[in-house]
Amino acid sequence: MEEKVLEILKRVFELDHVDETCSQETCEKWDSMGQLSLVVELESEFGVTLEPEEIGEMKCFGDIMRLLSDKL
Amino acid sequence: MSLFVFRNNTVEPFFPKDYSFSGYDDISEIPSEVEGYVWFYQLPVKAGTESLIQEIRGCSDKFEYVLSKADHSKPFIAFTMDRGQAVSFDSGLDVMTAVSDYNSRLLEAERSYPNLRILDIHEFTYRYPEDELIDWRFWFISQMGMNPRLSAPFQVWYSKKLDQIALKRKKCLVLDLDNTLWGGVLGEDGIEGVKLGGDYPGKAFHFFQESLLALSKRGVILTVCSKNNEADVLEAWEKNPFMVLRKDTFAAWRINWNDKPSNIRELAEELNIGLDSLVFLDDNPSERELVRQTLPMVATPEFPERPYELPSFFKSLVENYFRVYSITSEDLNKTEQYKANARRAEASRSFVDLDSFIRSLDIRLTIEAANSFSIPRVAQMTQKTNQFNLTTRRYTEADVRRLVDSGWEIMCLGVEDKFGDSGITGCVMVDGDTIDTLLLSCRILGKGIESAFLKTVLRLMRDRGVKTVKAEYIPTPKNSQVESFYDRCGFTCVGVDENGVKSYVIDLASANLAVDDFYSIILE
Repeated sequence: MEEKVLEILKRVFELDHVDETCSQETCEKWDSMGQLSLVVELESEFGVTLEPEEIGEMKCFGDIMRLLSDKL
Repeated sequence: MSLFVFRNNTVEPFFPKDYSFSGYDDISEIPSEVEGYVWFYQLPVKAGTESLIQEIRGCSDKFEYVLSKADHSKPFIAFTMDRGQAVSFDSGLDVMTAVSDYNSRLLEAERSYPNLRILDIHEFTYRYPEDELIDWRFWFISQMGMNPRLSAPFQVWYSKKLDQIALKRKKCLVLDLDNTLWGGVLGEDGIEGVKLGGDYPGKAFHFFQESLLALSKRGVILTVCSKNNEADVLEAWEKNPFMVLRKDTFAAWRINWNDKPSNIRELAEELNIGLDSLVFLDDNPSERELVRQTLPMVATPEFPERPYELPSFFKSLVENYFRVYSITSEDLNKTEQYKANARRAEASRSFVDLDSFIRSLDIRLTIEAANSFSIPRVAQMTQKTNQFNLTTRRYTEADVRRLVDSGWEIMCLGVEDKFGDSGITGCVMVDGDTIDTLLLSCRILGKGIESAFLKTVLRLMRDRGVKTVKAEYIPTPKNSQVESFYDRCGFTCVGVDENGVKSYVIDLASANLAVDDFYSIILE
């Protein structure tokens, strides 16, 4: 799962390399539009639905992993 | 192309990354340093019917304001509004009417603004049920009026639409007959036995023929390539009462037992159009494969196995190959013109020498400066003409308008003879003393019109004081027939670069610019 999430982050934010420290603060393209694409990708990859509150809290790689493990 | 999008909701995920966007429902700034504009207003989200209707009307007003202020030499693409998610407390008619008024006002504007193209959003949205079109989570989080999940298919659809706007379309359909235009095999089932009209499946083939007839009226050339006895087919065209497409509908045909690729080549030659302008339809997969293998430039789509699939097949055929924005009157007359050409070819046989044949045609050439009516046609010709085209520079309508404004002389050639009017079939684009573009449609070639046109243009340039004219030939895989055209017209080749581009000059004082008297030349 971690690898898949990293792969999605890399693709959505067009990064050359990506690691567990990826967050809205470190990643230039992770803005509100980026957040939308990220949610669409995560939902279709893992077959989950994220609540608006959860989307609002999702600010870094760790947040994503926490949310997904709760749901899967 | 980087365009600027006016929008009332979040639409960034649906457009290419190099686009820029207005503020939400913000028309206070109309940037000028962009290549064009997009208007994409979605149905406002409002709970009250009255205020919703008011707001939709406001959208029309804003649209008209922006359109009138935006640079008219740049493309302006406007999406229609989808009725979408509006809640109908009663029959919903009021909102429906307001939306359709909005859409009619867009279409209305298309008549007065040649740079405007309308894209019908419904062509995209009809594929999805309502709960897939909007995801209210994303509305409340990010003001997305359309589900961001649809961004990938939307971009595919949108870029296809842009291609169609840029006029990358085909010109001619090559049709098989048995099990393509009717059910069954003519040679076996006979004229009355083939399935056409009456019950299914004949009904489906009849509808398909009617659809193709409508397409031919929009300027697409229809031809036949079929393995059959020609006499049988001619008889069937004449005698089967349900036949919609008959002898007169087709500009040319090859009905014989030769292989289809050779027949298709011959058809292209006879009509003077490139093989890459053809779309080939055949129910037989091995014929399709053979054509794909040997003539890959001919578009050969799959053909439906079941006749009831023909209507949706026809729709995709039009969308993929024949949709055109801004039909010119030349398009509407095209089949007539190709048929008149065939009659001219007939007439040429009864004359011994070419000169007396040409004289007998009573050719009238009209040469006039491009104006707002002919500019779309000029752009279209630069996009579509491949063979008699000295430099093959492609221009959009906006480009042409800009060049006219910047002082280029752009002249159109109209050709008429006793068999008919070919309309605007050639143009020359001159920048000062340099011929940038010279092209003629292939259907008027072979009568010396090309040099008469060029000589007249040179004479006009001499009259306004030009001493020496420069010109170029840029080779492409398709224009080798004009490789020595300038040489033949008295130009001197002064250089050839490593790409084969030839540079020419001609001294107008000493050039022979007399035009044979069998052409009447009308300058307007």
